[in-house]
Amino acid sequence: MARDPNPMTQSFSEMVTEWERNFDAFANQVMGTDAYSQAMNEMQKAQLQYQKGMSELMTQHLCNLNMPTREDVLQLAEAVRQLDRRLERIEDKMFLNDDPPVAKKKPARTRTPPKARAATAESNAARTGKEKDNG
Amino acid sequence: MAKAAPSLDAIDLDAMQEGVREFVEQALARGQRGLELAGAGPQPVGLTPKETLYERGTLKLYHYTPMCDEVYRVPVLLVMATTNKSFVFDLSPGRSMVEYMLKQGYDVYVLDWAPPTQAERGLKLADYTQDFIPTCIEKIQQDTGEEDVSIIGYCMGGVLSLIYASTHPDGPLKNLVCLTTPVDFHGMGLAKVWNDPKYFDVDQLVDTLGVLPSETVSQMFEMQRPAQRLAGQLRYWENMLNDDFVESYRALLRWGDETLPLAGEYVRETTKELQWGNKLFTGELMVAGKRADLKNIKVPLLSCVAEHDHLAPRASTEVLLDLVGTQDKEEILLKGGHVSLIAGPNAAKRMWPRVVEWLSTRSV
Repeated sequence: MARDPNPMTQSFSEMVTEWERNFDAFANQVMGTDAYSQAMNEMQKAQLQYQKGMSELMTQHLCNLNMPTREDVLQLAEAVRQLDRRLERIEDKMFLNDDPPVAKKKPARTRTPPKARAATAESNAARTGKEKDNG
Repeated sequence: MAKAAPSLDAIDLDAMQEGVREFVEQALARGQRGLELAGAGPQPVGLTPKETLYERGTLKLYHYTPMCDEVYRVPVLLVMATTNKSFVFDLSPGRSMVEYMLKQGYDVYVLDWAPPTQAERGLKLADYTQDFIPTCIEKIQQDTGEEDVSIIGYCMGGVLSLIYASTHPDGPLKNLVCLTTPVDFHGMGLAKVWNDPKYFDVDQLVDTLGVLPSETVSQMFEMQRPAQRLAGQLRYWENMLNDDFVESYRALLRWGDETLPLAGEYVRETTKELQWGNKLFTGELMVAGKRADLKNIKVPLLSCVAEHDHLAPRASTEVLLDLVGTQDKEEILLKGGHVSLIAGPNAAKRMWPRVVEWLSTRSV
């Protein structure tokens, strides 16, 4: 469908583009400062410290309760994933044994660039013409 | 100079009324379409027929079914950036770089990444460049029976390809195409300021998280253009009745939303060696005991960069040709941004034909 010619929509579109450009330019100016980088990274550090503390606390609690931790669950998930892959490979092999695959027909690897192809076609045409003349 | 306000007599009230009526009608139609789309599932992507040739952990190698009876002798391997899924190369029929290349007679392979698991948190540059890429090349050689392989690397995929090429000067790489590939990491704009070693504690980040979550990665991207998402949604609303736009927007939105997590050690190494040390630029980068000096690259090289790329700004990409050792080198500066360079109408019109043409004479 062609672009909406309605002037109201067009001015809306221009307004969005202008707003985006100005807002990004302003934000980039603010975020490109040393002070912003420092504040952002300080915040991230605090968040990571909190996350680490919580994680250790939770691990301790789960151990006390004799329950698996996040790390245990992740390890289990990885083990299941590996088993799944192994099973897939076994299934593939079983399938292959039942029904050997038909060899894929591979394309000829003889393609030449369009210009070279055009030149070859031209010279072929010229040769054919010459042969006709001789004949 | 400010425009003079039109007099009341000059205002065509009928036309204005018609404009408002049309606007309201379309707003209602957009609302209805929006509801339909909200109920629809995710936009289908990556529909070009392919098979998984090889898979190991985070590594996936696809082979796309050739679309011509006669293909160029040298197969092409597309190396995706580690932060995103490779379906940006194959958004949908008619909007797919892979499909375009297949139709132009190339035998196309794509190196894609699955989200790294906690067990893979220790992956480093050496794994990507001395194991994953060489393994894929070996598989392609086995599959095609050809010794030579060309590589097209996108963003960090381009960086990995450059490191691979510079540490394997004896081949079997035939041609190298780098799409929006940063080399001078001190020219990375906002990313450089945010990752300033004075404030950014990469060790704490990696030691705490192990694998960097995808939300953190996508936040880093989105923060560089904070208005982009909202402006995109407004444009989406505006173009809600344009099927072509909607399909393209939803596919790209899905791609952006499906950002991948990153292996912690890889983040630590790229931060310290590439961003802080800028060692790819200085030629001092050591990977698995090998020096990744770009001067070692002697194969033909094409660098495609975007004029308005905020993720790999011009300052970070423009030095590539000066650093490589090959004489057969070319840079193409195209209009557009980091993503529109490789996907979308801009890419289909400007970038894909240029890459295909450049490769064609070097792929026989």
